[in-house]
Amino acid sequence: MMDAGLKSELQKQGVFTTTLESLYNWGRRNSIWPLQFGLACCAIEMIATTMARYDLARFGAEVFRPSPRQADLMIVAGTVTKKMAPQVVRLYNQMAEPKYVIAMGACAISGGPFKQGYNVLKGIDRFIPVDVHIPGCPPRPEALIHAFMTLQQQIAAQELTGPRRPRHLQPELPSEFPVPRYGDHDLVPPKNPDRWTAPAISRSNS
Amino acid sequence: MSPTPAEVSSNYLPVLGLAVAAALCACTPLWLGRLWARYFSPGKPGADKLATYECGLESKGDAWIHFKSGYYLYAIIFLIFDVEAVFLLPFAVIFTGLGAGAFVSLLVFLLLLAAGLLWAWRKGILNWAGDPARASFRGELSALPPLD
Amino acid sequence: MFSLEEIKSRLEAAIPTARLEIVANPSPSGQHSLRVDRDSAVAVARLLRDHAELRFDYCSNVTGVDWLAAEWTEKVKIKQPVEGGEQEIEATRTARRPAHLEVVYHLYSMEHRQGPLILRLCTGDRTADSHLPSLTPIWRSCEFQEREVFDLFGVHFDGHPDLRRIFMWDEFKDFPMRKDYVEPDDYEYEPTPHDEVLAKARKHQLPEAPT
Repeated sequence: MMDAGLKSELQKQGVFTTTLESLYNWGRRNSIWPLQFGLACCAIEMIATTMARYDLARFGAEVFRPSPRQADLMIVAGTVTKKMAPQVVRLYNQMAEPKYVIAMGACAISGGPFKQGYNVLKGIDRFIPVDVHIPGCPPRPEALIHAFMTLQQQIAAQELTGPRRPRHLQPELPSEFPVPRYGDHDLVPPKNPDRWTAPAISRSNS
Repeated sequence: MSPTPAEVSSNYLPVLGLAVAAALCACTPLWLGRLWARYFSPGKPGADKLATYECGLESKGDAWIHFKSGYYLYAIIFLIFDVEAVFLLPFAVIFTGLGAGAFVSLLVFLLLLAAGLLWAWRKGILNWAGDPARASFRGELSALPPLD
Repeated sequence: MFSLEEIKSRLEAAIPTARLEIVANPSPSGQHSLRVDRDSAVAVARLLRDHAELRFDYCSNVTGVDWLAAEWTEKVKIKQPVEGGEQEIEATRTARRPAHLEVVYHLYSMEHRQGPLILRLCTGDRTADSHLPSLTPIWRSCEFQEREVFDLFGVHFDGHPDLRRIFMWDEFKDFPMRKDYVEPDDYEYEPTPHDEVLAKARKHQLPEAPT
């Protein structure tokens, strides 16, 4: 591992050095191909993000893939109804590693305005791991770009070896998550307990 | 004086070298990628990931199903117009330079195709109806008691 | 443009067996509706569509209403004979409504530029006798909306060409828009609960240690 000071000194002399790790991460974070699917109104903002005004192509992510086999990133853009949740999980399972998930908008995070309804999943993170959450209803394209940059930073911080390896380099971590079944009254199971447990809420005055 | 086989092979030797180099250029990154995948990223196959259908839905039943033969007839009729266009275009381009015999023969060809279309029309193939899914629905409509 | 009373009298003249009733709407909109009995509903609907002067050729909307059994007291004015004529006195009376499901159809006439005509159909009860005749053979646009009413309220439309659930999955057993529907209890994480949601979220919280 090269000392940071030596690296910048060499750069001044016109010699650029890098490590395999940073080269690998540089390549990965600038070629994130999202899966082309939208669930609700957030998808409109996602489409706007890819168009000329906001131009997601600047981040190397303009290639929206119509097949999960070729996609690296799933943007869960919109309300995940309970009827749609198994399909979303199955699409995630079919994506090749490395794969990332951005939960875009209030609905994908928590159910949003439909949280107390009977037919909306209260957050896609109950079934699949989410890397970046963006709040908003819907989030503006700038927020989606911010989520992209956050994801890029996350990828840049990953290491090739050791405990901070990304998920896809760890053989013991699963690549597929159980797909919920349609039950008589709700999804079965309603959430993946290995994946998600309710965060502790401290309420002093309730 | 034609070149001897040895001269030919020596003339084309650089081309062969280039071909080998091109193949290496194409294959080396793929091979490196394969090597990288073997040593760094473990394969994680699974039932969902290896499924053939990739729309998120589970595939049901067999892909070898019967479908409406109307599609087949439509394809045949499309072919009539397709062949017609293929022959008419060159005919139109050199139309002024053609004699009466060529004109008549093409007219016969057109008439043959028109007869085929007429046959299909008479047979009611152009009538896109009789969808079996809706047949019961129409049956109920007609089964209703008539309004005095 | 006919008034609802005129339409009702025409229908009664044409179909003597029909039992029709005008349900008044006391709100400023005054959209009164016509309650039709189940047995003559299809005949009434056909007449409304095909009658040359009515021609209600477009059904824009089908909705359901879930009426639970209710009992209430209301004050009515009764005329009572007293000495030297009649006198109006106020009396309280107990009104009763059995539990039933209701389906509401909004009809328009494109040809005569009139509408909406509101039809109401009531089921016998909310469980076994929740059957109504389907009006899909009369107005094709009812097909999906009757499926929706079937999906969310559990009204069975006899004669519907394709009565399946449309929003919920096929394995689903409940009818979510009914008033006694109990939704799945997944209130384990409610960061900002209030009112009913607070009560549901509390069940998931551990009892707080006394401070």
